[in-house]
Amino acid sequence: MRKITALMVGTALVAVAGMASADETWGDYAGYTLRVKLIGGAQYEKLYAEIPKWEAATGAKVEIVSRKNHFELDKEIKQDVAAGTIDYCVASNHTSFAPQYGDIYIDLNGVMKPEVLAEFDALALKNATVNGSLVQLPRHSDISNLFYKKSLYEDQANKDAFKAKYGYDLAPPETFDQFKDQAIFFAKAPDFFGTQFVGKDEAITGRFYEMLVANGGALFDENWNPTFNSPAGLKALMWFKELYDAKAVPAGSLNYLWDDTGMGFASGTVAMDLDWAGWAAFFNDPANSKIAGDVGLVRAPKGDGGKRSGWSGSHSFSITTTCDNQPAAVSFVTFLTDHDNQMIEARQGLLPTRTQVWKDITAEFEAAGNPFMVEVFNTYSQSMAEDAFTPPLIEPWIEVSNVIWPNLQKGILGEMEPQAALDDAAAKAKVIMEDAGYIK
Amino acid sequence: MPFWRRESATPFLLLTPAMLTMAFVVVFPLVFSMYTSFTGFRLTKPASLYDWVGFRNYARILSDPEFWIPFGRTVLFLTVVLNVEFLLGLGIALLINRITWGQRTLRTIMMFPMMFSPILVGFMFKFLFNDNIGIVNNALQSLGLSDGAIPWLVDGKLAFFSIAIAEVWMSTSVFAILLLAGLFAMPRDPLEAAKVDGCNAWQTFRHITLPFLMPFAYIAMAIRSLDVARAYDIVTVMTDGGPAGRTEILWTLIGRVGYDNSRMGMANAMAYVSTILSILFTWYFYRKLVAARRYMGGAQ
Repeated sequence: MRKITALMVGTALVAVAGMASADETWGDYAGYTLRVKLIGGAQYEKLYAEIPKWEAATGAKVEIVSRKNHFELDKEIKQDVAAGTIDYCVASNHTSFAPQYGDIYIDLNGVMKPEVLAEFDALALKNATVNGSLVQLPRHSDISNLFYKKSLYEDQANKDAFKAKYGYDLAPPETFDQFKDQAIFFAKAPDFFGTQFVGKDEAITGRFYEMLVANGGALFDENWNPTFNSPAGLKALMWFKELYDAKAVPAGSLNYLWDDTGMGFASGTVAMDLDWAGWAAFFNDPANSKIAGDVGLVRAPKGDGGKRSGWSGSHSFSITTTCDNQPAAVSFVTFLTDHDNQMIEARQGLLPTRTQVWKDITAEFEAAGNPFMVEVFNTYSQSMAEDAFTPPLIEPWIEVSNVIWPNLQKGILGEMEPQAALDDAAAKAKVIMEDAGYIK
Repeated sequence: MPFWRRESATPFLLLTPAMLTMAFVVVFPLVFSMYTSFTGFRLTKPASLYDWVGFRNYARILSDPEFWIPFGRTVLFLTVVLNVEFLLGLGIALLINRITWGQRTLRTIMMFPMMFSPILVGFMFKFLFNDNIGIVNNALQSLGLSDGAIPWLVDGKLAFFSIAIAEVWMSTSVFAILLLAGLFAMPRDPLEAAKVDGCNAWQTFRHITLPFLMPFAYIAMAIRSLDVARAYDIVTVMTDGGPAGRTEILWTLIGRVGYDNSRMGMANAMAYVSTILSILFTWYFYRKLVAARRYMGGAQ
């Protein structure tokens, strides 16, 4: 009996010690309910399974009042702003969306420990800053690199035929011109395609934008006049159009979003796929992918300007200015983006925003004998460091995007001459920038 | 005696809570949204609610082909979808009416498509019609009926057809159920009299069954015309109005302007112009309903 009592006391002491340690890390918010709105979707959910640990450590409860995809969440938050009903503390955010929301989120620079922020990638923090205010804590980042089917490049018949036709050796493309040549070379529609692209919404605007920049162009000049109808912009649009006309991409590409391109490449019917790292593990998983074990990866190609495409952004968490318990909210977002939780997301291929996690996840995959995922993290690490850039962090970005992408589609489909399509989009974008007060 | 103490005031007093509720949930939002249509209201800038711009939003819309083309397309979509749903619903109702065993089970099964969320239906048909990995193209190729990847969701006509199929699949049972209710309520005497008079099956259907069912059909059409005119989820998921605006209908356009672009003042102006469409269709179907009932000797 005495032994049992001693054991119970010992266990209780260990538990208390554990709690004390946890309390020191995450704080004590017993009895408080933290209301949050989070992005939903299969790749985001694993992190949310960790929330009970934060609840246990702090004594607080987390009430997820909304969990939707980002586009739906964006609409809901805009409604909250209009109705003045921001009665929650934490919301998922994204670097492309953040500039729209005005001043509903606090500046994290004032409330987060500098030593914690110092553990994040400096570029990710810079891209999360709007008008000098760190309105979001980056959760994971995205940027695209080029996955390809290795066996196509190892096939001697392909090498010989390609050299004979194009005059240079067949190797994973280094430029967008080579990318186009190879996509057309490999395509045998409707059974096999050279590549594919996301063809609508901000997705194709982003692709166009990164190619525009890679070609040496820019969306706007220094006075916010649209300049994407430049020769660099036309070259970018023609890249899409020529692939589409040559049937090197699936005919439905203009209706594709990220799921379609990922599933298409995994189906084994596409030679190359410019995509984010979140698909990497999926592509190499025999249970899901017909090309498992046959996947190669190189950095995104370069444009005419000698620069690689690098459209990038971060999913993030923000804290509302109306939050009634900012310390609890800060503790929560810090927990969700801490080292261990970023490791959980990185194991799926999501790119971490903490510099140490890059090193640790690579070491973990090395130790596990998974050279493919090591290559994935090495490649994406390099492109995040050297190639990444965001869209302009301005409030009307999504609205500008919404006049660009329908015209890109018109140019690709031949409903408008490509130059006329870009000129028309630029004229519309100028009106938006004038209405928003950027052009005086 | 004050007015509210008089006996004649009692009905008004009793109706007051209902009238207030109606005013709060119907009239106030309508008046408010109409007011915003005369402002430059942006969702993300609550202060812009007071930026009075007069008729500027309406003037822009009335002269903008990017509004009127989706308007016309929505009318076409409504016409096609309602007619196909009516014909299929009528066929299903007539067939189920003939069944003597398992009818309840079939009626329940018939309702299944309506139980799906429109978003799920949109995703389901988007993947069915995917040109590369979709089951429709794979089936056509396997059966030797096509040797190319048919771009179901890219070609303007095919995309319109694909979206219409999704809409029809989900909601034909509305027509079927209402028409089946009409068949159940149908008196046997005229049918038996027609038999005695030597009418064949087609003549009986054409001159007795169909006229009797038409009031039910017009009610279904009035309800569905309001539904289809607001079609949003399925179209958004399947094509989002694209590519190049080829499947843009009123509510995908209004949704984009109001939410993605945050221009709720302009979106509300578009919505008010588009209600003309709903009013016209509803007025037309109610006129036909009254005419059909008059034909059957019903209410004048």
